Amino acid sequence: MKLSASERTGQILIIVLLSLLCVSVLYPFLYMLAISLNVGSDAANGGVYLWPRKFTLYNFQVVLGNAVIRHAYLITILRTIIGTIAGLLVTLLAAFGLSYRGLPLRGTLLGYVLITMLFSGGLIPFYIQLYNLSLVNSFWVYIIPSAFSAWNMFVMLKFIQGIPDALIESAELDGAGPLRVLGSIVVPLSQPMLAALGLFVAVMHWNDWFAGAFFVSDQNLIPVQTFLQHLLSAQDVSTVLGSNNNIEALARGSMLENITLMSIKMATVMISAIPILCVYPFLQRYFVKGVLIGSVKG
Amino acid sequence: MLAKVVKYRWQYLMIAPAVVLLFLFSYIPMAGIQVAFKDFHIGLTIWNSPWVGLENFSFLQDDQFWVVVRNTLWIALLKFIFGFPAPILLALLINEVRHTGFKRFVQSVSYLPHFFSWIVVAYILQSMLTLDGGLVNQFITNLGGQPIFFLGSTEWFRPMIVVSGLWKEIGWNTILYLAAITSIDPQLYEAARVEGAGRLAQMRHITFPGILPTVSIVLILSMPSLIAVGMDQIYPLMNPANQPVADVLDTYILRNGLQQGYFGTATAIGLLSSAISLLLVLFTNRISRKLNGEGLW
Repeated sequence: MKLSASERTGQILIIVLLSLLCVSVLYPFLYMLAISLNVGSDAANGGVYLWPRKFTLYNFQVVLGNAVIRHAYLITILRTIIGTIAGLLVTLLAAFGLSYRGLPLRGTLLGYVLITMLFSGGLIPFYIQLYNLSLVNSFWVYIIPSAFSAWNMFVMLKFIQGIPDALIESAELDGAGPLRVLGSIVVPLSQPMLAALGLFVAVMHWNDWFAGAFFVSDQNLIPVQTFLQHLLSAQDVSTVLGSNNNIEALARGSMLENITLMSIKMATVMISAIPILCVYPFLQRYFVKGVLIGSVKG
Repeated sequence: MLAKVVKYRWQYLMIAPAVVLLFLFSYIPMAGIQVAFKDFHIGLTIWNSPWVGLENFSFLQDDQFWVVVRNTLWIALLKFIFGFPAPILLALLINEVRHTGFKRFVQSVSYLPHFFSWIVVAYILQSMLTLDGGLVNQFITNLGGQPIFFLGSTEWFRPMIVVSGLWKEIGWNTILYLAAITSIDPQLYEAARVEGAGRLAQMRHITFPGILPTVSIVLILSMPSLIAVGMDQIYPLMNPANQPVADVLDTYILRNGLQQGYFGTATAIGLLSSAISLLLVLFTNRISRKLNGEGLW
């Protein structure tokens, strides 16, 4: 189709605007990557904008060589895996059970779930409850309270109700019980939905810093994002890495003077972000699908 | 009835974990709201701590509290004014792009920040805005200006929150609008073209009315989080220098409750803000039903 002159200017204007948006999103990551790959003392002089000027992997070595960070990383990975499996399982089971229209008290149960989406006791009563259940300062505080999501349950429920009744009925005629129906019909047909919700839950676990910061005081239990949150306001490198042997070993290598707080910070934040940057291109369409199934009416 | 319950025993068993979890982590905390009217401290249970009437609500006479309320409302208002229409505009813009490849690229890139934590966003702000070597300040000094201490300033705090919030979520929030746009009947556009309507006229008379129902749903859904203006976003960026404008209800509750142990007061404040959120949802839903004949329920 031929564009008129005014339409062409319009197109150019739109493309310029949208390109600016893309640059504003992508540039900070490139910048942080460049700083984290540059010798710290050199980057402090300024002038590193896009590519590292004095390339080094040293910042990453320091960060990955630090036992505290490695441990935090392990906690993050553990909670993401366990939390995602638990979250999907509990939510899927509830959605499937509630998808039976003949279920006695179904309306009451749906209401029971819905109310929790509208009103909550707030942070403090929630904390007191965690405390009473001895979940404070326990790894399970990351997993158990978030194992059920009312929001995801309703999304899942809507999806299951979209599965043709005839499919389920014919399976039941063949003598399949609810477990069989779930395993051989609902789960296989819901794979895209489960993938999308699983990703949402996994990202939530990966990114959560709040629970680690306020429900846990044992430093051995904090996840990477909470470590980053502590590090955000750190004033010098030693508060970050502690005065352990690690630092001495580094000092002997006389490289310590080359790292700066900023270069260490950037390396740490990149380490927390790189996994998401890597999987994002492959998973993006699932996310979008998840949002769409979840929220568009009619 | 009993026969029916037995018939559905598997289903009940499957729902049971969810029911138990909600009971433990939603309903018991709701009952825990009574702490707002009690003298509670760790060691007592919420049931055997003494009633103190409205004593915990004395924060209402505290000037600091009203500063916090003002900060909360300011940030909520600014985030709403800029944050609500922006994705609609962006979706309209993306929809106008003719080149499919570029369109996809813009969408993919603009969704990306949604998947990073607010902590990562705080680091991005720090790396861009810090005094020693921050990119923006380098730029300002190169132009001969005075460097600005963005992260510790009271004037720049609100713009920083609004812009970073936009940056993180604008793309993600376009998804629903873009989907709504694709579901508009193409014949409407054809008819409009025959009538001689230009792109702008089509946007105004077809696309925009076409996504209005979606707009109202998103509006209702955004209400509960309106007052909860992002502890996630604000807490990491708050410091003693910007606290006079950065302190919001959520951070105030956190400080008084979890950090200083004034559980009663913090619960009372939480109760107030939960109640306001609930009212906002009910109110918007009613308005939406009046205007569009369509609400969430």
